[in-house]
Amino acid sequence: MSEQPPTQDTQTALITLLTAVADDEFILGYRNSEWTGIAPMLEEDVAFSSMSQDEIGHARILYEMLAGLTGVSADKIAYARQPHEFLSCLLVERRKLDWAHAIARQFLYDTADHVRLEALSRSQYTPLANVAGKILREEKYHLMHGDMWLKRLANLSDESRRRLESALDALWPDALGIFEPLPGEEKLVAEGILAAPMQELQAEWLEQIAPYFEQLALPFPARQDESTGRYMPTIQPVYGGRRGEHTQEFAELWEEMTSVYRLDPQAVW
Amino acid sequence: MPIFEVFQQAREGKSFEHGGNIVAPDADLAVLYAREFYGRRQEAHRIWIVPREAIIELNDQDLLHPPAVDRSYRTVQGYSVRDALRATRGAVAGSAQPD
Amino acid sequence: MDEQARYDEFVKHVQSGGKVEAGNWMPDDYRKQVLKFVEMHANSELMGVLPEREWINKAPTLKRKLALTAKVQDEVGHAELLYRVAEDLGKSREDMLQDLLDGKTKFHNVFHYPTYSWADVAVIAWLVDAAAIQSQKALLDSSYAPYARTMQKICWEESFHIKHGYDMIVTMMNGTDMQKEMIQEALDRWWVPLVMFHGPPTPIEKDKDLFYRIKAKHNGVLRQEFFSKYIPKILELGLTIPDENLHFDTEANEWRYTEPDWNELKWVVTGHGPKSQERLDLRRHAYADTQWVRDVVLGRAA
Repeated sequence: MSEQPPTQDTQTALITLLTAVADDEFILGYRNSEWTGIAPMLEEDVAFSSMSQDEIGHARILYEMLAGLTGVSADKIAYARQPHEFLSCLLVERRKLDWAHAIARQFLYDTADHVRLEALSRSQYTPLANVAGKILREEKYHLMHGDMWLKRLANLSDESRRRLESALDALWPDALGIFEPLPGEEKLVAEGILAAPMQELQAEWLEQIAPYFEQLALPFPARQDESTGRYMPTIQPVYGGRRGEHTQEFAELWEEMTSVYRLDPQAVW
Repeated sequence: MPIFEVFQQAREGKSFEHGGNIVAPDADLAVLYAREFYGRRQEAHRIWIVPREAIIELNDQDLLHPPAVDRSYRTVQGYSVRDALRATRGAVAGSAQPD
Repeated sequence: MDEQARYDEFVKHVQSGGKVEAGNWMPDDYRKQVLKFVEMHANSELMGVLPEREWINKAPTLKRKLALTAKVQDEVGHAELLYRVAEDLGKSREDMLQDLLDGKTKFHNVFHYPTYSWADVAVIAWLVDAAAIQSQKALLDSSYAPYARTMQKICWEESFHIKHGYDMIVTMMNGTDMQKEMIQEALDRWWVPLVMFHGPPTPIEKDKDLFYRIKAKHNGVLRQEFFSKYIPKILELGLTIPDENLHFDTEANEWRYTEPDWNELKWVVTGHGPKSQERLDLRRHAYADTQWVRDVVLGRAA
């Protein structure tokens, strides 16, 4: 329907949406690149690095879209903001260099992101729909990788299963934070820019991955509501990211990430 | 871990060329790793991944370059019409009648 | 044919440009020499990742972050390709990684030194990579064919590294005073390791790698080529090189420079460089922490 920039009202909400998705990708890409040189196998080192570049690349595309809407350059959006201005979910900022944790997080994030991107590819705001459609195709690789590793960790040994279950257990509350309601999302839904509210996308996500967890006999902290048929979590989510409320880990990440940039924010690097 | 040989087709319609090899625990991951090591720079249009043990090698030079018989009769270089053609052209030119 | 005659024929074959494949017969000495050469190269690619990976997190723009991540990814990838070549010569990757971590095998001198600033990243990407490419070109025609083919792939993939490095350097030399000073300071620290990069001037008769045509050029030649190509480029940016004796001797047709302390090189590559143990420790811990993953994948777990 629309190549036109949205009305002023809706614009603020759109900026929130784009920022949240971009920040998720950026921070996850940041974390994934921390495996460089120290992954369990050289092959996985290279694979994780590819995924990390995809994520940062996707963030860049979205930051550039934001640049078009706000007049602030993509690099400034990435580097000049304060920690409380980042709208990424807490799942992506956790720092734990443990392989089961990395795979569990990747799987939860990518499957959730798939549902989100799928919805965005149907957005009435055409530039976003186009970008989301392309990103979806790139994410195919990530889904393949996550699928292969989740299966292997679940099935190949008692120890790997134990570690995987422990990681999933720790990460599920954070993962539900991906779908923390976005400030202003009602306007986006009304305008067709976001196909459905975040909580509804969450239900879709849980429904999509439930059979998977069942097949692998992994604990699944959600249940299908008898009357509505919708999947509802049985645990408390961890929210805050979408309102800019982050952890100490994020503060440390931000310090390091912006350390060279802050030597001279006017310099060209 | 088993070794897989990787063949790349650089562009649609071209020959597949041997790019190198990878190790992977199984065929599934071999596909991912082949893409990483032989396709992450978008340098391949298509990739074949073959377990090394499936490859049969022929390396016998007696079979591939048999040394005795002159086999130029089956090559373009084995034929030279230059001298005979020159002579023929000369003869035709010499007997040409003006119309 | 007796041993000696077979060996002599082999040497004649490789010295006249003949190639050797993994499945061919080869003298033990040749196999040992190639394996050692390729193993050190693989180790160097792997350890080369560590000075640079620290800066991925700190890269100050999106493009620089992506480029540095891709560059370092290539290096890990090259380590994998080279360990594969070495493995087909008879030593398992596990053994090679273990020997590296135990300090039994070496890796290139430059990767034992610290990085203090973003300028180090630029200097490494430009000049260390340039020095490496000089060496790598001399390997494209190696007598050991699997290695030569891998080198072609490596050279192709690395073509953007140097461009990216040069782009960073020129951007900063065109930038603020702070940036220019940062580059000069980094160059001051990296110059001597760069001079040592191509190795000591081993007498040609003693250089087995040359003898077997595993590599095609002598260390000294590679260094001179590197100097000729890059010294003018360094100077034209307004940088100074911290060697008063450095000049081109037109009569001798070669660069004259302060001879580095080759004992320092020996000391560094045997694990005594300023960052040698710290970086090996990082890999040791990571390797130990992830042992369970390899066990699971290789079917060795309970």
